[in-house]
Amino acid sequence: MDALTHLMGGFAVALRPLNLGLAFGGVFVGTFVGMLPGIGPINAIAILIPVIFATGLPPEGALILLAGIYYGSQYGNSISTILLNVPGTASAVVTALDGHAMTRQGRAGPALAMSAIASFVGGTASVFGLVLLAPVLAKWAIRFGPAEYFALMVFAFSALSSLAGGSLVRGLAATAMGLFLATVGLDPNSAIPRFTFGQIKLLDGMDFVVVTIGLFAVSEVLQLLEDTEAGREVQAKVGRVMVSARELTSTGWTMARGSVLGFFVGVLPGAGGTIASFLAYTTEQRVVDREGTFGSGDIRGVAAPESANNAAATGAMIPLLTLGVPGSGTTAVLLGALLGLGVTPGPLLIQEEPDLFWGLAASMYVGNVFLLLLNLPLVGLFVRALTAPRWLLIPGVAALSFVAVYAVNQSPFDLVLMTGFGVVGYAMRKLRFPLAPVILGLVLGPLMEKNLRRSMALSGGEWGILFDSPVALTLWGMAAASLVIPPLLARRTPLPPEADLSEVD
Amino acid sequence: MSDRVTGAILVGLALAIGLEASTFEVAFLTDPVGPKALPYLVAVILAGAGAVIALRPRTAPEWPGRPAWRRMGGGALSFLVFAVLLEPAGFFVACTLCVALMSTMFGASRWQSAAAGVGVSAALWGLFVRILALPLPLGDLWTR
Repeated sequence: MDALTHLMGGFAVALRPLNLGLAFGGVFVGTFVGMLPGIGPINAIAILIPVIFATGLPPEGALILLAGIYYGSQYGNSISTILLNVPGTASAVVTALDGHAMTRQGRAGPALAMSAIASFVGGTASVFGLVLLAPVLAKWAIRFGPAEYFALMVFAFSALSSLAGGSLVRGLAATAMGLFLATVGLDPNSAIPRFTFGQIKLLDGMDFVVVTIGLFAVSEVLQLLEDTEAGREVQAKVGRVMVSARELTSTGWTMARGSVLGFFVGVLPGAGGTIASFLAYTTEQRVVDREGTFGSGDIRGVAAPESANNAAATGAMIPLLTLGVPGSGTTAVLLGALLGLGVTPGPLLIQEEPDLFWGLAASMYVGNVFLLLLNLPLVGLFVRALTAPRWLLIPGVAALSFVAVYAVNQSPFDLVLMTGFGVVGYAMRKLRFPLAPVILGLVLGPLMEKNLRRSMALSGGEWGILFDSPVALTLWGMAAASLVIPPLLARRTPLPPEADLSEVD
Repeated sequence: MSDRVTGAILVGLALAIGLEASTFEVAFLTDPVGPKALPYLVAVILAGAGAVIALRPRTAPEWPGRPAWRRMGGGALSFLVFAVLLEPAGFFVACTLCVALMSTMFGASRWQSAAAGVGVSAALWGLFVRILALPLPLGDLWTR
């Protein structure tokens, strides 16, 4: 039980007063930003990342803050989904079905409480999965050479391309755009500038923070300006945020199934949270919905996607932390943040920086506890904040991220670039291009190119090295399968049409 | 129609990337792959995807009406106001104008937007300068 000893050490890190404060602060701020209408976890994280950088915290503390923001923003997203019926991500769309139906019946309180409890169960169960699975995967991945890494990244790209937007062509185009942005700047191997057009400021490459904030946050502000009436009716009265013992026991197995399903779907690259919540919902529909009450305010219809969603979020951390290869938009943003903090995730992370890894695992758990114990009593406060005028909330949050972007690099040029990406992001949303693959391409592109060139240098230009080992061949097979299978499946069970697929997390 | 234009833009972008990449000259071969390979791959994927989107258009997005364009234009302008004014005119001027313009676009009255601008600027100054101890520009115009 090596892992348990390490996890205890992790708790010792996470339970330091400063870190506890950071976990709480992250959860609180994350909930607040994630709750703003239309702003899903990926936007909330994007908005707050430069703020984290600006705080100048040591990596451990920054990571704990980041994990808190991650969980908080997911719960915040559930709040606005349930109360306003404006899911910030595709993964919350199924929560809206029964969650918002409950709100219309005056049962917003139990729906919010159920969402918090299900998130807690999913989050907690999956943290244990992470602790057990991550070291095994890391040990296995230590033998990966550059060829295997290259194949793994191709798999991540193809899976996200085909799953993120519902349209493979658009996903591939978005991935290619991200890869293009990744090539801007000085080529590390040959030291020639690529696509800089003589601009000195572009030599360093595209700053991930600038692209992320532009594509996600700025374009979101534009979208909110397009339809200033959306999600206006705030149900300020939520009643008691509590579930009855009967409701709790009736959802026990639902949450258990949702957590396990969500965790394993989350580990695979692609649109983990969305598919997990959708699968969990349809599974429960088949297993427990005998009276056909799903969709009309059944509390189990909230428990299933919420537990699966959160479990998938933790599951998605496994490939990120142990392989250094994220499989979703949100984890790609997290990778960008980690690299910005000077942490390079990969198979060696657990061995070389055990404090950091286990501290993060423990603080994910602590973040979940905070969510349950502190956010439940505070829901009323958050809801009152939702009734604050839109003209104050959105410009305030937008200005916060602009100032933080400036504070990180001290460059007004970045702010102009960010606005440009905002306009591009808005057009992409309108034209139904997924945004997550752009970020994945940007963050993973340099690593992919490096590994490709390294393996070709090893083989002296012989392309066969890419398909040489059984592991690489398996990964190539999985990449091919991820391109072929989802379109076939989609013909049989289409995703809900109202899903805003540009924001798959 | 939107899809045809989008596809054409993607193909054009792919051509531009390919052409620009073909000008990358490496003095000596540092590695067998070189700096051109990934841009070429990107160009091929973009061109293929663009062609499919242009030839088989699927979605027809609902573009917003004129008032919405005006609001969004104002919003985009407010971001640029912040970017352009921040260093010459200083944080307070840039932030107040940016937030005030943005909140006007969200439907605030003149007084409301002014209050939002001043209030948000003061709060952010407090957060970044007082709490996080990060310098923000006061404006070259005034401090020279």
